[in-house]
Formats: sequence, structure tokens, C-alpha cells
Amino acid sequence: MEDEAPLSEQESLALIARMINKVKCDYEESGLSTLLWGGVITFCSIVSFIAFEIDKPWLYNVWDLTILAVIIQVIVVIRENRRKKYRSHSDAIMGGIWISFGTSMFLISFYASKFQIPHANALYLIVYGIPTFATGLSRGFKPMIYGGLACWALAIASMYTQDGYTFLYSAVAAQVAWFIPGLILRKRYQKAKSGNV
Amino acid sequence: MFKELDPILHSQLRLAIMSLLISVKEAEFTFIKEKTNATAGNLSVQVQKLKEAGYIDVTKEFKDNYPNTTCHITQQGIKAFEEYVKALQEYLKVGQSR
Repeated sequence: MEDEAPLSEQESLALIARMINKVKCDYEESGLSTLLWGGVITFCSIVSFIAFEIDKPWLYNVWDLTILAVIIQVIVVIRENRRKKYRSHSDAIMGGIWISFGTSMFLISFYASKFQIPHANALYLIVYGIPTFATGLSRGFKPMIYGGLACWALAIASMYTQDGYTFLYSAVAAQVAWFIPGLILRKRYQKAKSGNV
Repeated sequence: MFKELDPILHSQLRLAIMSLLISVKEAEFTFIKEKTNATAGNLSVQVQKLKEAGYIDVTKEFKDNYPNTTCHITQQGIKAFEEYVKALQEYLKVGQSR
């Protein structure tokens, strides 16, 4: 691109639109975080359902896996940030929303372990829906919008279902809200990456 | 009476840089180079001109032991860019009504 090439008004506007579009097209999420959490929550929910069915309370310790997932998540975020050549305006906002979500989940888990909350999974599902729906809406990514809505619908269903069975709803929510959108994001990311080579 | 187009922005490469930077919070020099297809030398000169005009801020630091230059648009730059686009639209409006 030359510096002093004369520009008409139309050419200037076209150039602005082209450059803004280039940034838009460049933006691709790797989908690793959504896949990670979709997989971990699905696994933990199914194991918890089995624990409920066969009456083996020690199996509920499977949720400790989320601590390992947090460590992997931190590594993924650091690596992705290091590779990124630019920061978008929404990066900080999205980061804030997901950190708030993580903190809220930790506090709700602590609260639920201290006091008996009836239909606790309904509460988790309500919270799952918040960052999922917000991310889907702000990125214009429909699978996460539907995922967020599914979390809330499953939260309502959980209020009317026996506690142990609500783990199945959590597994479905993790698939619909995170794992499936994660697969779509990953596919897009790999396609974009191979196109850039 | 038409507002004169800002001469700092009314240049192909500088306008391309500003259009990229208005879309992001901050961008590395290599990203701008990749998107504008400009040479490193030419891009450095234009980045410097935008910096001198107060339209962008340039930060130089080390990333993975390599020097890394990051640019971000300033408030003054955002204002100038908005005024430039407004002026362009006025020119085009008159052009269409003729």
C-alpha cells in the first residue's frame, strides 16, 4: 500500500470499510475453553448422576476435576493472549464477564456446600446461562445464544425435577451451551488458520 | 462551505492504519503490516506521522525476548477520524444531490 496515492471520497470510505472488515474477518476464537468446560461439566454431571443412582457419595468428588480445568484454562488463556497480535474492544468486557462467572460459581458451590439448597442445580443452570447468552449476543454467535436460553429452560425444568436427575440437565446444558458451540468455533478457527497459511 | 479533509488522514496508508486501530483496542505493528500490505519502512514513517499528530500512541516493549511495537488510537485520533468520516459523508451527499 502506497502512502501518497491520491484518494477520492468514495475510495476513502471504501478503504475504511475494507480495513474494518479485515479486522472482523480476522477475529476467530479457538474454541478450546468452551470445549474444555463443555467436556468437564458434562463428564462431572454424568458421574454425579451415576453416584446418585448407585448411591456412592464419594463419586461426587469428581467435581474436583474443575480445579484442574481452571489450571488448564489459565494456561490456555496465557498462551492465546501471547499469540494474539491485537486486542479487540470486547476482549476486556468478555474477560470480565467470564471471570465474574467463575467467581460466582466458586461462591455458589461454597454456599451450597455450607447450607442445604433445594434444587441447587437450578441455581447453577441459571448462572451458566448468563455468560453464555451474553457472549453469544455480543459476538453475534447464535449457538451460544441458544445455549444460554437452553440453560435457563433447563433451570426451570430442574425446579420441578428430583435432585439427582437434574445432573442430566446439567450435562445437556454443558453440551448445548459450551461443547457444541466449542466444536463449531474450533472448526471455524482451524478453517481460518488453514486459510491464512 | 465544505470542511477541508484532514491532510494527516487523507492518505491511503495512514487512513488504513487509523481504520484498523479504530476497530481494535490495540494492535501490534506486525498485525498492521500484515493487514495493510505495506513495507515495514513505509509503515514506520506513517506510524511516526500519526504519532506526532497525537492520533495514536506507540508502545515499544519486549515480547518473548523480541522487541514488539504496539499501537493504539488516542481520544484525539478518534475525534479526528469521526470528523474525517463526517466530512467525507458531506462531500458524498452533495455529490449525489447534483
